Amino acid sequence: MSDPILTVEALRVTYGRVEAVRDVSFRAQQGSLVTLVGANGAGKSSVINAVSGMLRPAGGRITFEGQDITRTPAHKLVGRGLVQVPEGRQILATLTVEENLQMGGWHSGTDGARSVDAMYDRFPVLADRRSLPAGALSGGEQQMLAIARALIAGPKVMLMDEPSMGLAPKIVAEVFRVIEEIRASGTTVVLVEQNARRALRAADHGYVLQSGEVVHSGPAGELLADERVVQAYLGVESGS
Amino acid sequence: MQQLLNGIFIGSIYALFAIGFTLVFGILDRLNLAHPAVFAASAFVGIELVERGGLSLWAALPIVFVFGALLGLVIERVAFRPLKGRADAHFAGLISSIALAGMLVALLQWRYGPDTRRFPPGSFPDTRFEFAGAQVTLVQVVILAISLALMVGLTYMVTRTRLGRGMRAVAENPTAARVLGVDVDRVTAVTFAISSALGAVAGVLFAINVNTAQLGMGSAIELKGLAVIIVGGMGSLPGALIGGLLLGLAEVFAVQYIGSSWRDVIAFGLLFVILLLRPQGLLGARKVREV
Repeated sequence: MSDPILTVEALRVTYGRVEAVRDVSFRAQQGSLVTLVGANGAGKSSVINAVSGMLRPAGGRITFEGQDITRTPAHKLVGRGLVQVPEGRQILATLTVEENLQMGGWHSGTDGARSVDAMYDRFPVLADRRSLPAGALSGGEQQMLAIARALIAGPKVMLMDEPSMGLAPKIVAEVFRVIEEIRASGTTVVLVEQNARRALRAADHGYVLQSGEVVHSGPAGELLADERVVQAYLGVESGS
Repeated sequence: MQQLLNGIFIGSIYALFAIGFTLVFGILDRLNLAHPAVFAASAFVGIELVERGGLSLWAALPIVFVFGALLGLVIERVAFRPLKGRADAHFAGLISSIALAGMLVALLQWRYGPDTRRFPPGSFPDTRFEFAGAQVTLVQVVILAISLALMVGLTYMVTRTRLGRGMRAVAENPTAARVLGVDVDRVTAVTFAISSALGAVAGVLFAINVNTAQLGMGSAIELKGLAVIIVGGMGSLPGALIGGLLLGLAEVFAVQYIGSSWRDVIAFGLLFVILLLRPQGLLGARKVREV
């Protein structure tokens, strides 16, 4: 097996005296879809924010394409191909849809005009609303905008934090279809989700987090088939 | 007509000063009260460049622009960036920028002394025009042209360019901007540099307009600048332009038709009336501050 594109070893994240993430390790192979699942407050978002450079880890080591990036700030990682779709979408509500997409090309020093046009082909709903303030979009459209904006940055690894949060089941299915397309195109995806069953169905490998620690990990299919994991951590089927 | 033109000339300087003020407020949601000290310092530096450096008035302006930009970088690095993580960063930045302004004015006094300074005789061209029965000097026309060109250029930059998009992204959501690869500290520093460069040019133009530079000139315009950005709508560049022109016109007409002692009463009274009718300012959006 080739070297993983992303490795996280013994990661620690603290907020003051509170230790939110303890000794978390995981790895993602090139072109794979890895998911971190767990309940609210399990530390999933802290892990992904540490990997993306938005948070400074208290300990551990993160490598991307073999290079240590543990203390590299987010704005430098985007240009190297480690791109985050943040929790809550974080679209720029007063900028137009087009300006939001152009911001995806910020690190390249251009408007990314060709990439923006490619995104309009891929997400026609955004093309129809290109001149509107992004805040006028529906939740599902905002999520598509956040994903399209991240794709314009040209990710090698896409870190997605709760992309289905607050969306209707039909839109969730659409979001997961797009995620699987991204993975199929060769981009590595690290997906953080509360919707654990849905995430594990899409993933190659899964990590179950509880109270800031990895309590189970393995091939996603095996985790889904493990009755103890299902009963203890995945809960009842939500239907989405 | 003469008073109308005079009001527009002085109003355009107020607007240029206020646009620098409101640019930082719009980006950082913070008031940089060292801005008036940049206004004053640049006037003194401009006079020195002409007097001792032997430069023409117009050659001195780009140098003062760069001087102002460098001062802006220092202000951001010293008075604002170290405090950005504090819960009371708004208030702390306000106070630290006042402290830095005090230091700048003290340095001016150390270098130039307490006396009023003027451009050397012969610095200004004598060319005058007749316009609709009013007298206009070439200097006034150039002041207006420079002010308008800088304001139009800045508005274009903020609304149409990549840097402007980055500034607006940082203004709206610094977290989202970082996720997108924006170096928030760098964009913030550039914003301060542009803001202070505009304040610096405003300072020199003001000194040219009245052929005077005083240590207290920054304090004198500070309140007017704050009034202009509140009336125009906090963070609104076109609002600052309209507010500046309104204040300039109100002052000139108050002096002409009522009396010089009534100047501030009429000018600020008019601004109060505008705020009573439109509390968010002329072009400001209603905004609820999170606490």
